[in-house]
Amino acid sequence: MTPDKLEELESLLLDWEDGTLDEPGRKRLRDLIRSDDEARAHYVRLQMMNAVMSLDGEAGIPPTATAEAINGVTETVGNAGTQQVHVRSESSSVKPTRWMLTAAALLIGVLAGRLVQVELSSGIDKPDELGGSIITAEERDLTKEATSQGVALITQLVDVEWASDQRPLDVGDALLPGRFAIASGYAQVEFFCGATVILEGPAELDLQSPLLARVRRGRLRAQVPPAARGFSLEVDDMTVVDLGTEFGLSVTDDGANVQVFDGEVELRQPARKTRSLTAGRAVVRHKDGAFEEAVMAPGHFVDIESLESRVQNQQENRFQRWRAWSEEVRRDERLIAYYAFDRKDDRSRRLSNSLEPSNSELDGAIVGANRVSGRWPSKWGLEFKRPGDRVRVQIPGEYSSLTFCCWVKIDSLDRWYNSLFLTDNYNQGEPHWQILDTGQLYFSVRPTEQGDKGPRDHKALSPKFWKPSLSGRWLHLATVYNTAAQSVTHYLNGQVLSRETIPAVQVVTKTRIGTATLGNWSQPTQPDSSFAIRNLNGSMDEFILFAAALTDGEIRGIYDYGRP
Amino acid sequence: MAGPEKTEHFVQQLATHQNRLHGYVFSLLGDHTRTADVLQETNIVLWRKIDEFELDKPFLPWAFAIARFQVLAHLRDQKRDRLLLDAELAEAVSAEAERQAGHLEELRHALRPCLATLTAGNRDLVERRYFRAMSIADIARDVDRTVSAVKVALLRSRRHLSECIQRRMLAEGEL
Repeated sequence: MTPDKLEELESLLLDWEDGTLDEPGRKRLRDLIRSDDEARAHYVRLQMMNAVMSLDGEAGIPPTATAEAINGVTETVGNAGTQQVHVRSESSSVKPTRWMLTAAALLIGVLAGRLVQVELSSGIDKPDELGGSIITAEERDLTKEATSQGVALITQLVDVEWASDQRPLDVGDALLPGRFAIASGYAQVEFFCGATVILEGPAELDLQSPLLARVRRGRLRAQVPPAARGFSLEVDDMTVVDLGTEFGLSVTDDGANVQVFDGEVELRQPARKTRSLTAGRAVVRHKDGAFEEAVMAPGHFVDIESLESRVQNQQENRFQRWRAWSEEVRRDERLIAYYAFDRKDDRSRRLSNSLEPSNSELDGAIVGANRVSGRWPSKWGLEFKRPGDRVRVQIPGEYSSLTFCCWVKIDSLDRWYNSLFLTDNYNQGEPHWQILDTGQLYFSVRPTEQGDKGPRDHKALSPKFWKPSLSGRWLHLATVYNTAAQSVTHYLNGQVLSRETIPAVQVVTKTRIGTATLGNWSQPTQPDSSFAIRNLNGSMDEFILFAAALTDGEIRGIYDYGRP
Repeated sequence: MAGPEKTEHFVQQLATHQNRLHGYVFSLLGDHTRTADVLQETNIVLWRKIDEFELDKPFLPWAFAIARFQVLAHLRDQKRDRLLLDAELAEAVSAEAERQAGHLEELRHALRPCLATLTAGNRDLVERRYFRAMSIADIARDVDRTVSAVKVALLRSRRHLSECIQRRMLAEGEL
């Protein structure tokens, strides 16, 4: 049976399982299964897998459970079953008829519930092994721990198009064991052992461990410093073991091409002599296992230096794209304030506002905060590291709906309240925008004057968005306060985190800012007040405040244009 | 009438091999509901024929033979238009199904580490489709992808799982 016929069989079977296969399709599927032994074996394999997954599914065993956890579950219940049989046989040894009834009852149990069968069966195979109890919290944690392990990090992505079944990833994401596939572009992957692999799409890897990956197809260059010696790549049944070097590997349907640029690699395969390949040599291994000398072509394998220049190119392009967009936005009449952080040569302690036509009244005063690199090398940001670091602004006027957007790089959320933008005090109509230490975005507007009786403020909290792996990455945060729709919507990286309706009495239709602070909270000076540390432990690059409720699409656009 | 010792042994054997019988019947019918029905009939027939069951003879070949008969009877009774395999083709597949069903528990244990090598996204699709029996259309809606994208991802994942399981079972000497 040819590979495309096997694929056709798989595809038809998927439709059959889904209940969407018509009679001509069923006939074709039968013809394919009938065609030869290989087709029948393959069909039965798929069905067995299907049966096992549905049995486990009905037994409530999730696909993430480990084999050990399942052994534990099934063996324990199995033991109980065995014991039951045993105890009953003792009590019934006098009266065979009663024993018959018991056995029949057991059998009916077997007939009635497949759950019982699943659990009994694999247990009776090993009756003397003791397992744990039915999926305990402890076992769940074990499962969790196993799946949260990474084996490598993505350190660069250039012009990457993801394979259709690959969840898009970002630079800085950890890779778990499993498939990693790109349709085009370049990805630099650093294995935890220290080996760096530059992958050129289309390519498909199967990550196994910090030291091992399977290459299904694609072209890559691996750089393996001495500390990472032993890093291996598998192609079919051949293992390319690195002895501290730099090499290229290209895998196609015809075979594998290995080229050693520096150092030495070993080519291991079952039942054959291990071949060693030294610098300047290249071989092609055909599908049948035969080797053939090949011509070196180091230029075909992108190296770190040329990837770096592509990265710079991409960054420059994205920066220019953002700049063009930013020039547009400055004229948006809905703007209240816009700080683009884009005047690179600006050494003063002033944060120029970016409105067009310009209005220097809205410029901010930088207190403490240091200038750091922004989302791109051509741009800067401000780091609020010490408890006093802040930017003071004075924004007059009265508004209704408001939209807050900013790019931030959070080091950690170690304050109870981590400030983004807060008015001094917290008077009637004044908004406070911050992040709680729980990792939730937090927005509120005070509806009454201090001391007045009346409704309390509505505290709009997003679900927890923060996790430590986001540390040090540029994130886009936005919150829309819509007084007409009486709602608050929080966003992370252009996606809605939460949208909630505010009870009518808590909606504040007249909002104002006055004196306010970016990256911190400034209470009015009171000699006896020791104020809480609320600075943002991180950096900010771009802050926009609109006197309107922006749509989901607009927020998405701001994120897309500003993405580093 | 069978004695208590024989009955106990019979019940144990039936429980031990229940998954294997399930896998065998399912691979010939390709339908979960029909499989449950036919398996239940098979169990009842086995129970009725307990007198034919001999302690010193292996249970499984005997049970497979009876299951095969039940499957074929079921296929002949049904209207053809709703079936995957016809009786003739089921006969042709039966020997291979018996062979593989005999290794079902090994497959079940090989499946776990293989599932762990799928991406989280694909594992989620596999869980929805095969563990929770959701339709592809419902899955596509839930994960906000097109039906054809979900199909492609499922086909790839299943191919990957099948290869991985085979490799593992070969390595363990179970094939």
